[in-house]
Amino acid sequence: MASTTNARDDLGYVRDVVNRSERNAFPAGIAYLWAAIGLVGFSLVDFAPERVGMFWSIAAPVGFFLSAWLGSRQAYTAGQLSARDGRGQLLHWGGLMVAIFLLYPLIAQGALEGEAVAQVILLFVALGYFLAGIHLIPALKWAALAMTIGYVITITVDGFAWTTLGVLYAAGLVISARVAGGGRGQQPG
Amino acid sequence: MASSRDDEAVEFPGRLAALDSLLDHRVRLAICVLLSRYDRLSFSRLKELTGETDGSLGAHLRKLEEAEYARVKKEFVGRKPTTWYALAPKGLAALAVHLGALTDLLSAAQG
Repeated sequence: MASTTNARDDLGYVRDVVNRSERNAFPAGIAYLWAAIGLVGFSLVDFAPERVGMFWSIAAPVGFFLSAWLGSRQAYTAGQLSARDGRGQLLHWGGLMVAIFLLYPLIAQGALEGEAVAQVILLFVALGYFLAGIHLIPALKWAALAMTIGYVITITVDGFAWTTLGVLYAAGLVISARVAGGGRGQQPG
Repeated sequence: MASSRDDEAVEFPGRLAALDSLLDHRVRLAICVLLSRYDRLSFSRLKELTGETDGSLGAHLRKLEEAEYARVKKEFVGRKPTTWYALAPKGLAALAVHLGALTDLLSAAQG
């Protein structure tokens, strides 16, 4: 029947349009920000381990709020606003930060110490990126893969393993940003 | 006694009548589905997503606005004038009814 064929075609068109709207939602600025933070933060484990804690306790929250601001600015520039998507991102990354924060009692009790602290946090973050890759921004699976490879390197390689991880993490994020199209760019209204 | 196939044939006109004539055009349907998915979309983003020309998209949006299915708001983003569109409650209700009728129509066609 012609009407049902038309209805199917129309729904196919609508589905394509909605799918298009969900692509390229990864602002390149956020990827480059965390690539820089990760490169410095992970390399510090090799070069200045006594400064790692202080660096991450400042860089992580600052990066979190800067990312929220960049994401919001990008949504306005792209002309696509969604409180639901914003809430999803906030809960995902905020939840990850809370989970990492909750490791502090274990560290204070001495149940986790030395390089193992950084490795456990690394696994948390890699899992966070992987889940974000599944549920929020597909391209972030590349960053998760880079972090997982980096994790294996930190437990198997002795020299400059954390610097290697920093480079892999930064490269993974840059690749993720490129795969996602680096944001939607500037558009007049 | 009529067969179930005959019953479906009789029900088809009823299902077609439940379709919203304004949302019968796929571009207007896509616009309303997008506006139900997002809080606000700019004119240029809608143009990019639907692939319509300025004139065509403007005409579709005007129809939705006149029927009070969509709300429009103009503001500056940076120094650029931006026209934002959002789905009005009347549009959301009409979309739900239309999609329900479409689903029924397709289910009936599949038998």
